[in-house]
Amino acid sequence: MGKLAVPKMSLGGKVKTGFLILALILPALPWVTQYMIHVVILIYLYMILALGLNIVPGFNGLLDLGYVGFYGIGAYTSGLLTVHFGFSYWLIIPLAFVNGAIWGILLGAPTLRLTGDYFAIVTFGFSELVVLFLTNEIWLTRGPLGLPGIAPPGIDLSWIGGPNWEFYGELPYYYLIIAMVLLTVFVMHRIQDSRLGRAWFAVRDDELAAVSCGVNLLTYKVIAFAISAAFGAVGGSFFARWVTFLSPDMFKFWESFLVLCMIVLGGMGNIWGVMVGAAVLVSLSEILRELLPLVGLPAEVRFLAFGLIMVFMMRFRPAGLMPIPAVAAQMRAGRVKRKKS
Amino acid sequence: MFLQQIFNGLTLGGIYAMIAVGYTMIYGVIQLINFAHGEIYMLGAFFAFTFINFLGLPFYAAFVLSMACCAVCGMLLDIVAYRPLRQSPRLAALITAIGMSIFLQNLAMIIWGSRPVPFPQQVVPAYFEKTAVTFAGVNLSWFQLFIFGVTIFMMLGLNLIILKTRWGKAMRAVAQNKTMAALTGIHVNQVITWTFALAGALGAAAGILVGAYYNALYPTMGYVAGVKAFAAAVLGGIGSVPGAMLGGVVLGVAEALGAGYLSSLYRDGISYAVMIIVIVFIPAGFFGKLIRESKKSI
Repeated sequence: MGKLAVPKMSLGGKVKTGFLILALILPALPWVTQYMIHVVILIYLYMILALGLNIVPGFNGLLDLGYVGFYGIGAYTSGLLTVHFGFSYWLIIPLAFVNGAIWGILLGAPTLRLTGDYFAIVTFGFSELVVLFLTNEIWLTRGPLGLPGIAPPGIDLSWIGGPNWEFYGELPYYYLIIAMVLLTVFVMHRIQDSRLGRAWFAVRDDELAAVSCGVNLLTYKVIAFAISAAFGAVGGSFFARWVTFLSPDMFKFWESFLVLCMIVLGGMGNIWGVMVGAAVLVSLSEILRELLPLVGLPAEVRFLAFGLIMVFMMRFRPAGLMPIPAVAAQMRAGRVKRKKS
Repeated sequence: MFLQQIFNGLTLGGIYAMIAVGYTMIYGVIQLINFAHGEIYMLGAFFAFTFINFLGLPFYAAFVLSMACCAVCGMLLDIVAYRPLRQSPRLAALITAIGMSIFLQNLAMIIWGSRPVPFPQQVVPAYFEKTAVTFAGVNLSWFQLFIFGVTIFMMLGLNLIILKTRWGKAMRAVAQNKTMAALTGIHVNQVITWTFALAGALGAAAGILVGAYYNALYPTMGYVAGVKAFAAAVLGGIGSVPGAMLGGVVLGVAEALGAGYLSSLYRDGISYAVMIIVIVFIPAGFFGKLIRESKKSI
């Protein structure tokens, strides 16, 4: 008695802490190669993208097929500001966030009134227009030639007499992206439990009931879409400064599809689920990229597997590998009804 | 020049119309955007290519056989992928449709390779290239006339099927109300599957015509064509068959004129832009009923 009660960690909490520690010490482990670090950075990047996209299909129940459009906008925002104006990356993150959100609002405000499938196709058209713009406006983006020579981020302490340290190698990026993932997860959790998140879930579960409770559908959907777009743009801004080269080909529909597949696999609406989905699919993608040429097939064919994953998931586990109860119930609802009648 | 562009646009538009009709029919009966429809169109072109190259069939025979094969593919697509999800939320079916589209595209890439292949020219009747009619500075090749002919024939045939046959009547009934249709003894699932067959056959015809006209087949050809045709279907009012026909023709002409006078770089962008503008401002299109959110999309 009198002792402070140490809060006990749940099993899930232990697993998560374990993974975090593993992630932090991963580069120090002896058998880890530079290539593996590269792939793990890619996994984290896709985690941010998947978490961002998750807001729209997962929290709101709307299909967004044009996520890569915002990713591309963020990447080119970052690339162009760096190449032409030499902006610091720490300034670019908020700028990319805001730019993504603006485009999200511009696209979302007129189209989110529509039914779900119209919205899906509009987002698809939007992302294709973004790619066309990036390809054809050569004066701005250098078009298919690509945008090379984007400086890596750095930490400039010269204004207080410190060193001006520029990122070199994969390690600094590794820890930067871990910080960004943690921040994203934190924000997602806070949003999920806020009034905003609850309103979204209400919209997802039953629009009519949500409206009756005073949720303005359009406003909340636009906010969701804007936040989702903003996170996509932040992911893009990192991507630009990390690979230091951009080309419009990097922002084709495939990327949207891949991110969507992660969410479907992991479990729509489940923050941890979509992160697992990102880890699994990026790894699978890299493995297939290595294996397919060995059997004489082009590496793009790996998307065949992703297509099949989506079809099978929808058929057998529509709420994903780590389902959240609400989504699972909704996905089951129709089938139960059929059994009764 | 202007008239020439118009006629080029009409040729293209007729082809879009044939694909768009498939989208609109399927949307009519099960309210699903069948993303895999563009892939059926691509398969149609590749089936014809294979029949000609490996079985040595003449052009017209390959044309008809490929349509039949795609009709079967459409039916299989429905039975395997969509039928189990009939009672599921719309989001599930939509995601399945995208998954199937990607799957078929990559399957085609494995079978026929990812590089564009030329359509076997030796079987395309030689006079197709020749100019058939010249008036007011407009040259129309026999091929263009052939495309017009096929388009008009298919559209009239389709209208006949939808309006005059028992089967077409059943289709319209299912589109209006599935439960009522089932109560009157219509086998709803069968009607839906046959609709997929019809859409598949039309899509295949369009694919072969495009493949032969542009002389290039590639596994991703269905992707852009699919979206454009969907834009045409939306323009005409989704769910309306005459609307899809008109939408296809209008979109084809708009695209030809836009590419000719505005910027050929944004050729594909014109369809996307038209689609977004129509969806945002006149979501009912030319002939469609305004669709309100009646069911939840998830």
